[in-house]
Amino acid sequence: MKSRVFYNRVGFATLLNKEIHRFMKVPVQTVLAPLISNILYMLIFGGMLQTREVGIDGISYLNFLVPGLATMGAIFAAFQNPAFSMISQKFQNTIQDLNSYPISLAEKILAFVFGGMFRGVLVGILTYVATIFFVGYEVAYPIFFVLSLTATSFVFASVGLIAGLVLDNFEKMNFALAIIITPLTYLGGVFFEVSKLPGFLANLIYLNPIFPLVNVSRYAYIGVCEGNIVIHVLLTMGLLISSFLIAAYIFKKGVGIKIV
Amino acid sequence: MLSVRDVSMTYQKGKKEALKNINLEIAEGEFTALLGQNGAGKSTLINILAGNVKKTQGSVSIGGYDLDKKELETKKIIGIVPQDTGYDFVFTVDEALKKQSGYFGIKNNKAYIDEVLEALYLTEKRSARIRDLSGGMRRRFLIAKALVHKPKILILDEPTAGVDIEMRHTLYDFLVKLHQSGTTIILTTHYIEEAEKLCKRIVIIDGGKIIADEPKEELMDAFSRESIIEVHFDQALNLADFDFLSDYHPHIEDKTRLQLKASKKDLSKVFRQLSEKNLEFTNLVVERPKLEDIYLNIIKH
Repeated sequence: MKSRVFYNRVGFATLLNKEIHRFMKVPVQTVLAPLISNILYMLIFGGMLQTREVGIDGISYLNFLVPGLATMGAIFAAFQNPAFSMISQKFQNTIQDLNSYPISLAEKILAFVFGGMFRGVLVGILTYVATIFFVGYEVAYPIFFVLSLTATSFVFASVGLIAGLVLDNFEKMNFALAIIITPLTYLGGVFFEVSKLPGFLANLIYLNPIFPLVNVSRYAYIGVCEGNIVIHVLLTMGLLISSFLIAAYIFKKGVGIKIV
Repeated sequence: MLSVRDVSMTYQKGKKEALKNINLEIAEGEFTALLGQNGAGKSTLINILAGNVKKTQGSVSIGGYDLDKKELETKKIIGIVPQDTGYDFVFTVDEALKKQSGYFGIKNNKAYIDEVLEALYLTEKRSARIRDLSGGMRRRFLIAKALVHKPKILILDEPTAGVDIEMRHTLYDFLVKLHQSGTTIILTTHYIEEAEKLCKRIVIIDGGKIIADEPKEELMDAFSRESIIEVHFDQALNLADFDFLSDYHPHIEDKTRLQLKASKKDLSKVFRQLSEKNLEFTNLVVERPKLEDIYLNIIKH
């Protein structure tokens, strides 16, 4: 008897393939553009600030910046993939097709999340590859670095799926990106060392969910990070599980997909 | 094949009761028309079968599978052609149909896709993006999409809306062949002549309730006790001149055509009365009421 959780392997693979195929059809917009932005950040911030006292002691600012940029690229790409997919399906009036497929709920959710995760990891790794020219190819823990980008992408693909289900147009999606995701990312320790922040801001940053994600990736890349890496890893796992469960709950409720 | 029992549905928005204790049994191989005005509940019923709307009460069984307990199995049995011609901006016809096959767990479906595309005159457009298709082609694409997994039941929600007459007839021929091959078909349409031409059974929904459910011939016979007699003249008519036919509800159409309604047994009486008056008419037509007249009659009552 077929499992209810994993019911239609071919259907799941097709849905995942569609999510990847869709963004791979427009690589300039989905992969190249964020990559160029990250290289520009590297040139401008790295070039301007490399002689100043920013970053972790003993680590060059460019080295400090690379994992932050890779994480930031992964966050935006992973968020946008399912969010854009769901909202464009609403816009095209094809969203309810999802209800007609013999694909289980878990398979549908995983297909959207894995699609976003794949795009996030791709942008993250390409950002790293592009920065080799500036800082060399050394990574302290290469597998851990890829895993950290994977976890970050998984979290934000789940968040993107939630946004895509709850929001009904691109304007709202861009608003969420500009008002919530971007400030949290910029203030999450991508560009600077948190201990350099004044007073309460330094404490406030511990409430920012992006902070542990950046730190895990930074630890994997340069071997050191701010705070305790074990706590950051645990927080990352907590974010991973909770974001996925919330996405699954909203999907199961039929928000944005079913007519109520 | 399809069983709908005591199904009710109330939308949360506006607390609108869209369906009220609907009961419907459709056997394998039937070709059924689901008729009703806008907002009557047809699309809600179809959306329940498609899984887009959750019913508030009742049970639905598709191909022997309970919709609540074995939802995924029911998906394989039905194909839905939606009313809305929504389409994906990115993919070509071929890509979209391959993906659609994949969603239904079918890996290599090229031969059947070729067959469906040919039957729907879409072979030449297989490499075109869906967004570049004309409205009529997009309708045919949606039918192809609903058929790639060879569903036993095909549900078409106004498939010919906005389609030109020639293409409509092409689709009729296709649907007839599909029905002859054993597919159970449920069709909703606003073109009543379409239902009359194609379907063997008529279900009429009004105000969320089924108000008629009969084989087409029985429904038409039941409402065909009165025939419409149309007498054509080559001059303008005055209704007062036909008082002698007042029992047959005389009515003048386009100034020169006299319309009467008479039961079958009264037909010869009407002809006799017309002959006795020595009226010079140019043509005489006796028509059975069309399904459209019957439909309007049922809806009004």
